Amino acid sequence: MKTIINLFLVIFCLSTASIAQKRTITVLDKMSKEPVINAHIIDGDEKVFAVTDVEGKVEISLEREIFKIHSLGYIESIIVLKETDDIIYLIPTILQAGQSVMVYAYGEKKANIKDYQSTQSHHTLDHFLDNIDGVAMIQRGAFGWEPSIRGQSDQRMNLNIDGMQIFKACVDKMDPISSYIESNNLSKLQIDKSGSSVAENGNGNSTINLISKKPDFAPFSLHLTSGLRVPDQYRVLALNSNYATETTAFQVSGSIKKADDFSAGRGSVIPNTQFNKMNLNVGVKQLLPSKNSVEVNFITDKATDVGYPALLMDATKALANILRVQYNWRDTKAPFQLTTAMLYGNTIRHWMDDDSRDVTQREVMRNMHMPMYGSTGTIGSKITGEATALNHRFEWFLNGFMSEANGDMWMISLDPNVEDMYIYNMDEIVTKNVSLGGRHSFLLSPSFLVKIEESASFTSLGTNSDNYASMFESLYNKAYAPRNRMLFSGSATAIWFPKDNWSLSLSSIYSERLGNHIELFGHYIYNYVDGYFYDGNPWLKSEKSVNFELNSTVEVENHSLSLSVFHKQYFDYISGKEVSDISNNDFQFKQYQNLGEAIMLGGEVRAINRFWDNLKTEVRASYTYAQNTTLNDPLPMIPPLKGLNSITYNFDTNNITASMEWAVAQTRISKKSSTESKTDGHAIFNLVYTKSLFDGSLSAIVEFKNIFDTYYSEHTSIASIPEAGRNGMLTLKYHY
Amino acid sequence: MKSILKQSHILVMAGLFLAFNACSTSNSNEEDLSLTPINTVVIDGYTVKLSALDKLETGDNYLFWELEKEGKSIDIETMTVMPMMDMGTMKHAAPFKTPKRYKERNRYFEGMIVFSMPSGDMGSWTINFTITTKDGQTIEGSIEVNIASSWRFTSVKDKDGKGYFITWAKPSVPKMGNNNLAILVHTKESMMSFPAVSDAEVIIYPFMDMGSGEGHSTNFTAPVSKGNGLYEGSINYSMSGTWTTSVQLVVANDTLPEVIFEYSVKAK
Repeated sequence: MKTIINLFLVIFCLSTASIAQKRTITVLDKMSKEPVINAHIIDGDEKVFAVTDVEGKVEISLEREIFKIHSLGYIESIIVLKETDDIIYLIPTILQAGQSVMVYAYGEKKANIKDYQSTQSHHTLDHFLDNIDGVAMIQRGAFGWEPSIRGQSDQRMNLNIDGMQIFKACVDKMDPISSYIESNNLSKLQIDKSGSSVAENGNGNSTINLISKKPDFAPFSLHLTSGLRVPDQYRVLALNSNYATETTAFQVSGSIKKADDFSAGRGSVIPNTQFNKMNLNVGVKQLLPSKNSVEVNFITDKATDVGYPALLMDATKALANILRVQYNWRDTKAPFQLTTAMLYGNTIRHWMDDDSRDVTQREVMRNMHMPMYGSTGTIGSKITGEATALNHRFEWFLNGFMSEANGDMWMISLDPNVEDMYIYNMDEIVTKNVSLGGRHSFLLSPSFLVKIEESASFTSLGTNSDNYASMFESLYNKAYAPRNRMLFSGSATAIWFPKDNWSLSLSSIYSERLGNHIELFGHYIYNYVDGYFYDGNPWLKSEKSVNFELNSTVEVENHSLSLSVFHKQYFDYISGKEVSDISNNDFQFKQYQNLGEAIMLGGEVRAINRFWDNLKTEVRASYTYAQNTTLNDPLPMIPPLKGLNSITYNFDTNNITASMEWAVAQTRISKKSSTESKTDGHAIFNLVYTKSLFDGSLSAIVEFKNIFDTYYSEHTSIASIPEAGRNGMLTLKYHY
Repeated sequence: MKSILKQSHILVMAGLFLAFNACSTSNSNEEDLSLTPINTVVIDGYTVKLSALDKLETGDNYLFWELEKEGKSIDIETMTVMPMMDMGTMKHAAPFKTPKRYKERNRYFEGMIVFSMPSGDMGSWTINFTITTKDGQTIEGSIEVNIASSWRFTSVKDKDGKGYFITWAKPSVPKMGNNNLAILVHTKESMMSFPAVSDAEVIIYPFMDMGSGEGHSTNFTAPVSKGNGLYEGSINYSMSGTWTTSVQLVVANDTLPEVIFEYSVKAK
């Protein structure tokens, strides 16, 4: 991105040699709407060419469309100026503190503690997420890793694309929502580890929001990426392009990926780890005469022949279609203002079977094939705005969605005398939700900010199938009715800047959640971690949590350090409880129950240091301690202390990064609520060399990962499937 | 999404239905009956029609009797029946309930017979009947019925050789989900007398045999006596396929040998 920006800046600087006309823009504080005085307008050579006056105004050449604005106390912004822009808002640094914002970009020079740059964009999004401190990936093979934040995954975190609610279709969690977006059509990630963004998310769960690429009013661009990795023959071909007229912008990105089985350390091939994937993201944005805009975005994703060695089955096909229409209003400072209104719809369909497996030898469900199908369909809206009441300006968020989930499984015995069996894992399960949230910021002094967020949501979960409902009536001896609940969440964050470059923040978050559609209405769903079949429980009480997070961040020009610690306590913790009267050696059953209390505590540290402008080091580490205090048992699938250390050296047009990914042994394993195994510690070493050619328009990247061919597995790898051994990849990138 | 569309469709249809019914009236309480004709006999100018909820088979069968003369329905005042299996060298009856009027002012008389064996080479079934009309006429006769074999009936003997008939009354077509379970128990006093047994303990265990020696049960409620040989409970079938349910009677502290019902559970 930096290279692109530099190229544009050079072009525009040259083209502005003879200044013909100028335009006046006004730079305002995003929060107070007051002028930002003495903001520096910076060109591509990092030179200040203009400064705002006491009214925040500055004159800029009409030809100069891309520049940076820097002002103390504000987040530095790169501006791509449009014809229609008269006002530019700068976001006070104080507003950014307390919430992690990760930008998925390349080549940022500044040691921005909140920006994570991918040096491996040609790899999957899964690998990138896995190296973010506080994030671990639950793995079932080489594909479709499931993110967890601070040990919380699935129902205990929000995983969205562009803020949209999307439900996975596979009851075996083969298709986390992150599997339906690709790194090359991703603009950035928003990660809220603490869950303080209650107003926007409708709850206090930790959140990963995958922001897809949008059409941009920027000059035509074309990016092509091609790569090949051995020994798994992973090959990727990707394209990104953007084109814009004065009022209309188009964007398209797509990729094709294919991989064979990978090899673990010391050469052992791991069968059923292949995958095949296609992804396409197209968008168009139209500026309207009113200076409002409307954008339409469509993502389609198709994965086929995906192996899952940790599971009994493989995915034969996974299809996602995701449509979003968004209307953006310009800022009018009106007492009641709409900012964005988004309508969206998506369908996810997922097929899997075990036709390529030897079903005669496995431990459960022997001698039968089990084709499964799952689908979800969701429609929703998300409306945001600002309002003023009692001289107080605040942001508001109104979200609503309705979703239906279906899933079934055939069990076809190899014995022709055994009648085929069929089961509904989810039958016409309908989730409805509407939430209203508010976000309030109180600047008590220039260095002290308090943010308050609240959300009230109404959630309804039920099934439209009487037969299916009767199963739960019988299980719990209660009359069925859809479960309707009002849920409340709130957060308070105090941020103090003792010095301009040092922030301290304390967040407290209260959250309530109704169990998700599987916890309430799932049926006969196999859990690969503990080997039990799970039934939902529509009469679960809401799970509550209280979370505290303390963060300290220091950022100077070339050095930054961020330290976070947290303590989260769950009440009415939802987990599986064995049903002994129908369990036997072959089939063991659990039902979801509210099982007392659980705690999670830990922290993350991240340090970035830059020396002599061409040497950068980065240290990330995270740890989570999680315990079911009622059962006195560690919670399952909790990563051990783990981290990433890297050193990057730039010279001329070359870039070399050496990194070490490490994790200590995990000996805290769940024995009562699950049946985990201990995991050994490991450290692997990687090397990446990047060479820029033809003024940066062509890049060649050579990467070696797990150089010493270490055999290891992550604790969050189900069935302890080992990670890839030594592998090498060559990637070529071209951009125009 | 399927049910969202379905709900919209249902709403539209419900609206049309309500609009239509606002202009029409319902004059029958027979509309919920869907009967299968079994046999017809003509005696002294009266036509005796026998229908049932489905084709007759071993186990309990609900029979619907009606009487016509010259194409017009004739009201029945009372009726008695006696099922009879003619095996050539011997005859025997079967457990039954005497027919009674099916709902008020309905032309049907409804009774129940537990056929204990199928028709075939072993013998044939007839039902002897006596009908008294409201105007005092008596029609006597018999009607042949063909009984198919089914999984819903079995029998067991106690240590003294006394026979017990166990009929799986409900569900006749088990489906995934919770099913109300009804079991009928009768005993054999003589070739012509099969009284209900209402003081037994009925122990059941449903099981899904998934092959290869694997299988599992599901949650259920053990049947309890409701009188007249009827025992009610429930079974919650977690999946479709072939299920078995073992049934064991405990009568006067005597635990009888286990019998097994094997049947297919449908998905919906």
